[in-house]
Amino acid sequence: MTRKQKRLSVIAGALCFLGAATALTFVALGQKASYFYMPADLKAASVEPGQRIRLGGLVENGSIVHGKGAEVMFGVTDNKDTVKVTYTGILPDLFREGQGVVTEGSFRPDGTFVADSVLAKHDERYMPKEVAEGLKAKGVWQPD
Amino acid sequence: MWFWIVAALLTLGASLAILLPMLRARGPRAAAGAYDIEVYRDQLAEVDRDAGRGLIRPAEADEARAEIGRRIVRVGRAESATGPAAASRSGRLLASVAVLAVPLVSWSLYGVLGSPDLPPEPLSARLAKNPANSTIDELVARAERHLAAVPSDVRGWDVLAPIYVRMNRFADAANAYSTAIRLAGSTAQREAGLGEALAAEQGGMVSADAEAAFRKALALDPKDAKARFFLATAEAQEGRSDEAARSWQAMLDDLPQDSPWRGAAEEALAALTGKPPAPAAAGPAPGPTQDQVAAASSMSAGDRAQMIEAMVARLDGDLRKKPDDPEGWRRLVRSYMVLGRKTDAEDALKRGVAALGADSAAAKELDRFAASLGLTRTE
Amino acid sequence: MVETGHFALVLAFAMALVQSVVPIAGARTGDERLMAIGTPAAVTGFLLTALSFAALVTAYVQSDFSVANVWENSHSLQPLIYKITGTWGNHEGSMLLWVLILTLFGCLVALFGGNLPPTLKATVLSVQGWIGAAFFLFILATSNPFVRLNPAPIEGRELNPVLQDLGLAIHPPLLYLGYVGFSISFSFAVAALIEGRIDAAWARWVRPWTLLAWLCLTGGISMGSYWAYYELGWGGFWFWDPVENASFMPWLAGTALLHSAIVMEKRSALKIWTILLAILTFSFSLLGTFLVRSGVLTSVHAFATDPSRGIFILCILTLFIGGSFALFAFRAQTLAAGGLFHPISREGALVLNNLFLTTAAATVLVGTLYPLVIEALTRDRISVGAPFFELTFVPVMVPLLLAVPFGPMLAWKRGDLYAAGQRLFAAFSLALLAGIGVLLFIDRTAVFAALGIGLAAWLLLGAATDLVLRSGIGSVPAHVVWRRVVGLPRSVFGTALAHMGLGLTLLGIVSVNTFQGEKIVAMNPGDNIAVSGYALHFEGMKAAEGPNYSENRGVFDVTAPDGRSLGTISSAKRFFPARQMPTTESGIRTFGLGQLYVSLGDPDASGAMVVRAWWKPLVVLIWMGGVVMMLGAAVSLLDRRLRVGAPSRRRKPVPKLADSSS
Repeated sequence: MTRKQKRLSVIAGALCFLGAATALTFVALGQKASYFYMPADLKAASVEPGQRIRLGGLVENGSIVHGKGAEVMFGVTDNKDTVKVTYTGILPDLFREGQGVVTEGSFRPDGTFVADSVLAKHDERYMPKEVAEGLKAKGVWQPD
Repeated sequence: MWFWIVAALLTLGASLAILLPMLRARGPRAAAGAYDIEVYRDQLAEVDRDAGRGLIRPAEADEARAEIGRRIVRVGRAESATGPAAASRSGRLLASVAVLAVPLVSWSLYGVLGSPDLPPEPLSARLAKNPANSTIDELVARAERHLAAVPSDVRGWDVLAPIYVRMNRFADAANAYSTAIRLAGSTAQREAGLGEALAAEQGGMVSADAEAAFRKALALDPKDAKARFFLATAEAQEGRSDEAARSWQAMLDDLPQDSPWRGAAEEALAALTGKPPAPAAAGPAPGPTQDQVAAASSMSAGDRAQMIEAMVARLDGDLRKKPDDPEGWRRLVRSYMVLGRKTDAEDALKRGVAALGADSAAAKELDRFAASLGLTRTE
Repeated sequence: MVETGHFALVLAFAMALVQSVVPIAGARTGDERLMAIGTPAAVTGFLLTALSFAALVTAYVQSDFSVANVWENSHSLQPLIYKITGTWGNHEGSMLLWVLILTLFGCLVALFGGNLPPTLKATVLSVQGWIGAAFFLFILATSNPFVRLNPAPIEGRELNPVLQDLGLAIHPPLLYLGYVGFSISFSFAVAALIEGRIDAAWARWVRPWTLLAWLCLTGGISMGSYWAYYELGWGGFWFWDPVENASFMPWLAGTALLHSAIVMEKRSALKIWTILLAILTFSFSLLGTFLVRSGVLTSVHAFATDPSRGIFILCILTLFIGGSFALFAFRAQTLAAGGLFHPISREGALVLNNLFLTTAAATVLVGTLYPLVIEALTRDRISVGAPFFELTFVPVMVPLLLAVPFGPMLAWKRGDLYAAGQRLFAAFSLALLAGIGVLLFIDRTAVFAALGIGLAAWLLLGAATDLVLRSGIGSVPAHVVWRRVVGLPRSVFGTALAHMGLGLTLLGIVSVNTFQGEKIVAMNPGDNIAVSGYALHFEGMKAAEGPNYSENRGVFDVTAPDGRSLGTISSAKRFFPARQMPTTESGIRTFGLGQLYVSLGDPDASGAMVVRAWWKPLVVLIWMGGVVMMLGAAVSLLDRRLRVGAPSRRRKPVPKLADSSS
């Protein structure tokens, strides 16, 4: 091989690698990105049971029920619709009724949402951004 | 004064820092290539070291030396291009502008942004100064510090609690009263104070907790005027007007002539039976600003009633002009309810819902709020 | 003192303006006097910024609530250490720390740049001045920490309790030292483009500064990961949170820069590529600052958000990133190309490293920005989390890690892959054995664990092999070995340590992800649970008072798998009344290289406490690996090659070339 051919083959190899990485990235984005919904959005969107989504809203007042062991049930609401969520684990410190929350997980066939992670705000002055925007768009919550 | 001296010195120092190098004479400088050669010299030494230690084979070392040598030759060829340069006129101009820019930019920008008149206020110094010169806030902070250090000082809590009520820090007041109760047991005064703080926290509504506290106070001292007054208020708020009227009447019969609660009870009774002037629930009840209401507690009863009426009227007027104010409507509805003017409250609710748009979330919120006060909208 | 600090900040801005114009004007016109202004301007700028920062710290220490920033983020009852760290635990203060570090680096270049060609030094200082002026302006216009309140409130609103932690004392300053440290390589790159030439001193300067920045960034990321691990109580050490990614991208690009700077220094090759990487790395740092400070992303790190700030930083971002890339596009071809090399060579290996690292950085970038782009285009809100990065980042990194041990084995210019493979045969066999050992003796189904641990062993043994071969252990007598070890360039040790650190971190990650034991149960006092053999006996809850919080502490007795008593472990629920905010303090005990981790939840329906307990085997290695990498960087920094003197007239102008012809 001449020097030029060598150089070309190196560049071709690099391009192949980059192409593979790009393809992988797009496949992964298509499969692994999870969409964010508020309860009222769910009717319009067709979310299959088992599909990973993030569900955000306010923790419904009076809806928190501590079940057996570390199981907790609560309602996530946007003051239009409410979704029942079950979660097993430790709730974040700032998880309170009437406060913003983002849960991640999927629907069971019976319609309950099983969350494997629950995020609340980290600071009492601060509301999860998606929730704040979603609520603002629905006219439910006014930032001060 | 000190600040200005320091600022002037800093400015002077900064200006000098860029002025001095301008004035200093420069020796001849090394050509740019000399710096490169210094690096190559070092690289050669490194190759020698590595070769000496056997880290690279002699053939590799020779090759490396040859490569560095070629670079040195290349530098030598470029060398002749660099010539000396003298300070130009435009350079001097730029330097002068730079020296001038330092004080100009900094002083004018600071003039816009700074607050040179405000002294620093370290907390320890504020708390240590003569109490006569302290603000109420500072005195309270001092008392809080004392209580944080000696939380068992019952007298401190007893003194602080009513002050908190005056400052509209109702949650703190409730906490202070309950701490005093926890430390030194119930007295009628403490329980009644706790009830008042809890009620004030709810904007004048006597909650179940507050009612329980008032009942305890009454159990300890059946003549406690504050507790009796608020329990009657609670009855009125629940819509049991007859009982409330009887309670207030009983109070008026018992109270000594000089009791500060006489006036309040008289007005409440008058309001209930529909006789003007409509009085107000005593204590820091509702109203546009809590401060004014707190101030009202030191006025004569007649003045107070007038003032509260005036404030509610003003709120009503404001809302007619600027109806897009959900919080304002809530306040108005609540004010009328607490004043016992239920028809007006219903009217305010109706107007509020109409103004906010019947289907809007804010209107629904207002409806829910009114329902929590026992008021439903009649279509 | 407060207003003096404010004035010093404004004055520092004025100095930055002078620094950004005058020295470069001198360099372009050849006016020495103008160039000479750069040094005092940079030093004075740093001193003024330091004075300003000291004034803010003083205000925090003295609880001066007439300063709005102190009022918002401090409380008189906070422990002193958290009053001090609160200075940078908020947006305004952290930006002041950012420019303090920026001016510090400018000052160091000014003071130690005597061996740089004067025009290069002047241009570099001016580019630093541009960055400084932009950020000073940002602080003064949108994030002034010296805004006053009159009358002054009597009590502050307290630092977010989550941030009241020692990790926070170290994490942001280290991270900023890293972020901002890359501004030096950036300034050198831009200066080289402006000058249209790359001096030989250029590479010798860029490499140690990149190393230093990389060292600090590595420390900052490790510290931040450990902080999230123990403070957030989820037991995770890396969440692929956008803000973590924001610090990880400059790290990946910086690692690539570090390696290409070696080629540039040794062989004068890859010049243009190195310059591009230097620009890219600092661009990632700026992007990170933008993502964190503008609040476009939800995160622990997003302080109260303000749109004007986001737009301002976006402008700075566009100006510097766009400007430098435009400059690169126009000027890159003026730079002379460097030495040639064969694809199979040390240079080739480093190019491969660069290719993989930049691709990895690109996948992280895509994953981080994709949600923003999608939201802007379709209003759909999506999130890209760990599953995405596991599918993209990991496959890119694995071949790179496989290739790492080969790099140092290859010779410059033209290497022998077959010989390198032979030398690494022992390391490879042992790594294979380690993987098979995992399968046979620990868990027959843990294929990924076996592969991961084998890979980690490969990295560790490969790095060790390099040291063994270079020192000649086993092939030459002991005293010669010793002489060789002492004589080895420090950078050889640095390389080996950094690669070993990588192996240790990988070992920790694989081990925790595959072998950790976890239990979530509701416990009453007296109950027992076992996690991976460790028995926990719940003693009960104890109430206690802290300086600015009250706490309820759950205490557990720990018994080792072999029945020994290991004392107690405790986790607490704290409540901070000033903010009305609860926090959880996890209980962590280290046994060997693993950790027992206990976190308390809320009481369940029957009043029993929900307890989450983990056994995390080898978890300590994750951060120990980071420390070893930092150590490697530090050892490399001490290499004497990186110290070059200034040319003096007395030395011989040209060194003896006779050697090279012999």
